[in-house]
Amino acid sequence: MNVAVTTQPKRKPSFGDWLKTLTFYELLVGMKATLTHLLNYKPITLQYPHEKRLLPDNYRGMLALLRYDDGTEKCVGCDLCEAACPSRVIRVVSGEVPGEPTKRYSKEYYMDMTRCLFCGLCVDACPVDALGMTREFEWAVYDKRQLHLNKQQLLAIGDRSFPVREKRLELQHPNVAFFNVTFKHLPQKEN
Amino acid sequence: MLKETHKAEIDDILSRYPVKRSALLPLLYLAQREQGYITEAAMQEIAGLLKLTPPQVYETATFYTMLNLKPVGKFHLQVCKSLMCALVGSDTVIGWISAKLGIKPGETTPDRLFTLSIVECLAACGTGPMMQVNDDYYERLTEEKLDRILADLRQTGTCSLKTGPFMWPEPAPAKPGA
Amino acid sequence: MPDQKPETVRLTIDGTTVAVPKGTLVIEAARRVGVMIPHFCYHPKLKPDANCRMCLVEVEKMPKLQTACSTPVAEGMAVRTATTTVDDAHKSVLEFILANHPLDCPVCDQGGKCDLQDFSHQYTPTTSRFTETKRIFQKEYFSPLIETQMNRCVQCLRCVRYCDEIMDVKALAPVGRGTMTEIKHFGPHELDCEFCGGCIQICPVGAITSRLSMYEYRPWMLKRADTICTFCGDGCRITVQTKGNELIEVNSAHGAGRNNGDLCARGFFGFHASSDADRLTHPLIRREGKLVEATWEDALEYVAEQALRLKLAHSADAFGGLITSRCTNEDLYVFQKFMRQVIGTNRIDSSARYGHLNGVQALRRVQGTHRWTIAFEDIVAANALLLVGTNITETSPITGLKVKEAVKKRQASLVTMEALQPAIDTLSNITNLALQHFPTHPAQFGNTVLGLTKAVIEGNLVDATLAQQAPAFVQRLTSALQGISWENLEAVTGQTRTQWTETAKILAGANRLVILVGNGVLRHPGGDATVTNLLDLLILLGKLDKPGCGLGPLAEENNDQGAVEMGAVAEFFPGPAPLDDQPVRDRIATVWREELPRTPGASLTEMLAAANKGSLKALFVVGENPVGTLPAEAQAAEALGKLDLLVCQELFLTETAAMAHVVLPACSYMEKDGTFTNSEGHVQGVRQAINPVGDSRPDWEMFSALSVLMGSPLEYGDAREILKEIRTVIPGYGLLGPTPTPPKVDQAVLSGYLTQGFAGDAATRYAVSQPRQTGDGSFTLMFVQTLFHSGKLSTHSKGLLQLQQEGFLSINPEDAARLDLADGGQVKVSNSRGAITTTVKIRERVPAGLLWFPEHFDGEAKQLAEWTIDPRTQIPYFKLAHVSLAKVS
Repeated sequence: MNVAVTTQPKRKPSFGDWLKTLTFYELLVGMKATLTHLLNYKPITLQYPHEKRLLPDNYRGMLALLRYDDGTEKCVGCDLCEAACPSRVIRVVSGEVPGEPTKRYSKEYYMDMTRCLFCGLCVDACPVDALGMTREFEWAVYDKRQLHLNKQQLLAIGDRSFPVREKRLELQHPNVAFFNVTFKHLPQKEN
Repeated sequence: MLKETHKAEIDDILSRYPVKRSALLPLLYLAQREQGYITEAAMQEIAGLLKLTPPQVYETATFYTMLNLKPVGKFHLQVCKSLMCALVGSDTVIGWISAKLGIKPGETTPDRLFTLSIVECLAACGTGPMMQVNDDYYERLTEEKLDRILADLRQTGTCSLKTGPFMWPEPAPAKPGA
Repeated sequence: MPDQKPETVRLTIDGTTVAVPKGTLVIEAARRVGVMIPHFCYHPKLKPDANCRMCLVEVEKMPKLQTACSTPVAEGMAVRTATTTVDDAHKSVLEFILANHPLDCPVCDQGGKCDLQDFSHQYTPTTSRFTETKRIFQKEYFSPLIETQMNRCVQCLRCVRYCDEIMDVKALAPVGRGTMTEIKHFGPHELDCEFCGGCIQICPVGAITSRLSMYEYRPWMLKRADTICTFCGDGCRITVQTKGNELIEVNSAHGAGRNNGDLCARGFFGFHASSDADRLTHPLIRREGKLVEATWEDALEYVAEQALRLKLAHSADAFGGLITSRCTNEDLYVFQKFMRQVIGTNRIDSSARYGHLNGVQALRRVQGTHRWTIAFEDIVAANALLLVGTNITETSPITGLKVKEAVKKRQASLVTMEALQPAIDTLSNITNLALQHFPTHPAQFGNTVLGLTKAVIEGNLVDATLAQQAPAFVQRLTSALQGISWENLEAVTGQTRTQWTETAKILAGANRLVILVGNGVLRHPGGDATVTNLLDLLILLGKLDKPGCGLGPLAEENNDQGAVEMGAVAEFFPGPAPLDDQPVRDRIATVWREELPRTPGASLTEMLAAANKGSLKALFVVGENPVGTLPAEAQAAEALGKLDLLVCQELFLTETAAMAHVVLPACSYMEKDGTFTNSEGHVQGVRQAINPVGDSRPDWEMFSALSVLMGSPLEYGDAREILKEIRTVIPGYGLLGPTPTPPKVDQAVLSGYLTQGFAGDAATRYAVSQPRQTGDGSFTLMFVQTLFHSGKLSTHSKGLLQLQQEGFLSINPEDAARLDLADGGQVKVSNSRGAITTTVKIRERVPAGLLWFPEHFDGEAKQLAEWTIDPRTQIPYFKLAHVSLAKVS
């Protein structure tokens, strides 16, 4: 880019300038959008409950917990979403899966959606893609407590919003074959 | 128990070293000679003899490929997999033996005749690919040679192709019946 | 402690010049100038191994990169740690490590405090060039407390080296070779070791983690509190990590406290005792014969009312108090102040009575101090160490580590006298390191020490100046010992004269001689005489007042020393000062603004006797459990049953608390502030880690509240205020410093002892004590401490219960073979007092003819014990029994 920064000497107005001033050319340029719509009028307000907008693919709506294709939860209870969350929405209580020694999962998982600002940092933080942002947004409730969601509710949201599921991590690549798997021959951790 | 059966030999081995722990490898060899491999009981007994803990014996026994922790066949085929042999085709040798005997490295044939293992350099880099069968070296191996060795071993228990190992000083000829 | 100033070397690290002592490693020198060189295998406690290659640095004039952890500094050395070459080296080393490291940080408990994670963030690109399959190890069960995930291992071998060099257990081994090296115990067996948790603490990655807290936390969630462990007299600094109000983990940072970051199984895995579900959460009052829950107001008012009534009806001396030495100094102080000022009696005692007093009394008598004149540093720096009657690695594991360090790192000569056989097994055994070991029968410590003293005198090893200064002392001892023949000594003790002579030479030849005395002596009859004789031995060798020399009795409970110093025993005021010490009495009276009671004190046994006779009407019991601890012969249950008022302040509903009229729930050490004084006399701060469980309160608060209700208030805002008052009573007490300043030998007391003091009982002390003849069986049963438990508190800890959950009889293999007993078989142990059936465990470390039974699970077994009370010191002994064995099929 070579923008001339030297101050130009004041130029004598040409015929073109005179004509533009006379026909309000700049004004028309500014009003172009308004005038176009004036000419071919079409209402853009959607009749919301009856009509719904098509949401973009990367829409950041309600959060959900996902499952693998065999129905097992993806979440490994690593607490990274909790650490990533800027507004302390998430609380994870992790532990060993009952009956599946050495496998880690979230015993309890809570999201206080009243505080969520839908930044999506938890989804980025999740190492196993267990969190997803759905396109659900109709979450107006009468009681704020209904926005305090537990694991079952979050999984249900995931179930209805993400019907296509990935296969289990350990089946995806040999190097993740031993990532958070059960060792049946080991005793369960005592509690 | 080794202590009862080989008391004199153990005493002889122990007397050779100023530090008891040094006798660990000879004793492990003794145990292996006795049972063909090193049993857990033998390791515990050796630990007791040398005032070591069993894990300390175990670490040594697992480090050396010539010490077996599982029963091996009559002929222990130890194929060198280190760089020099690998460059001249030790993979072919291993593949050939596996195919011929139907065993993978670490396994023993059902007739308990052959065990195939993959070991580290056996210091015959000039004559690779090579393998060691029990205490004998077989060098510059080819498929034909391997076939002959396996057949000879099966029939006569030895093979004229063996070349060593060369020791210095030369070991005294084994006394008959020892 | 170095005696001369070490030579220093100047070198440049990244342009900064630094002067360090000769022999320092480059990595340590760099740390001094604030340059952190990344490393995995290096640890300041361990010998350099240089196997991880992470600490490569560039050294000028050296053609190749050097490992900073194994290169000692040299004069004029110029080290660069941040050049492109070094950076490339870091990258490649990490690439090799990460080639096999599974990226399972999300499920790894080390995630967030992992060296590999940190270095990877710092030194590697975020993408990997590695596409091959990673190394996979078979997952094996390691232990119920320690979790291993060998795929994460970077093979730095820190755990293996720690287990060998520091702990001397050697339970871990690198198995296999090359990349396939894996840390294992032995064969396919699960880990059986001391469970010190050192491998968990020292692992730079998540290969070895604690199974107890597995998956329960992330490091950033934890709140930390630095406090002191309550399980023995060593006084280890522990960092208690909590999430919310939940106890998650205990660890100890390198360099922290007197333990320098080392812990034992009790410290590392025993913390759950505080959060046990059986904890008392509400005050209980006996109503219609049953203990029912009550409010604090009701409970305290009831106690105050009854106490006032009994005080009016009888006298102040109808009251007694008993406190455990597991309480903080503040609790102990307020307890004795409450008893002396509010109630007005000296009839108080603490669990220091069980043996620690023997040591303190001997120290006071001979050298005029009540504390060690040595510190842990002197143990490490000693040239010769004499351990008498202590299986130190099991009773005081961390003091044991100092002994191990002295022997293994500094080549000190170790002499041990203990009922212990040198044997290699899953626990470390201090006698394995001993130059001379006297396997001593528990009743023969006195005689064995006599043999040593005789060898010193007859070997002309007596200090020349002492012979001039105190001829009477030397003469008296010489003549007394000449009267004892070697044959007699050899016959009773089973030792040989040559061994005594050899040992005497070792001890005399050492510049720094430290003697440690344990419960084998202190908790058995004649304990005070043996300790006094050992002090005599130090005097004869001319070493008692030499720097770095001294004698230290090892306390069993964490605050035995504090209990004595706080005056929570029958014979002492705070200080400790004897009850007839008028200046101290006056000084305390000015602080308390009240006269101190003049009546004599009463020990535990005297109080029980008084209660049985009916002259003792009320007893305050704090954390002690005489009914559960003492054998039936002590008649504790009968005595306590006759009381009009029994108040127990307890964590759990013990046998004693179940008999009480009122039970008040007390806080454990995790829930209160205060100070503990360890064996070596170091006062250390205890800090609250969690909120009190249920309605429990610290013990001092209860006494404070009671005193208000009883009309003579002892009010304190917090524990620090009490400590402040303690300091006015005992000047300079407990200035919480990093190291203790041990007191010096009081020369006036010592010369008094040498001229006259020794003579009183010299005849009895220097005579061969004959073994007591009992009609009972041929085996001597000892009630011993085990490594995995401490008193009975630890039997509430789920971690330690996984290591040992019941009592068993340890027996020597030869004895077992003779009786045809197999490991795990049943055996009947009996004598005239009773019989029990228990499980046998064959252990080589038990000497022939002896049997060990853990005192923590003594239950029925304690009825077998012989009950003797020292008539002079009132110390009850009940840790020995003569029994016969019979196989139960």
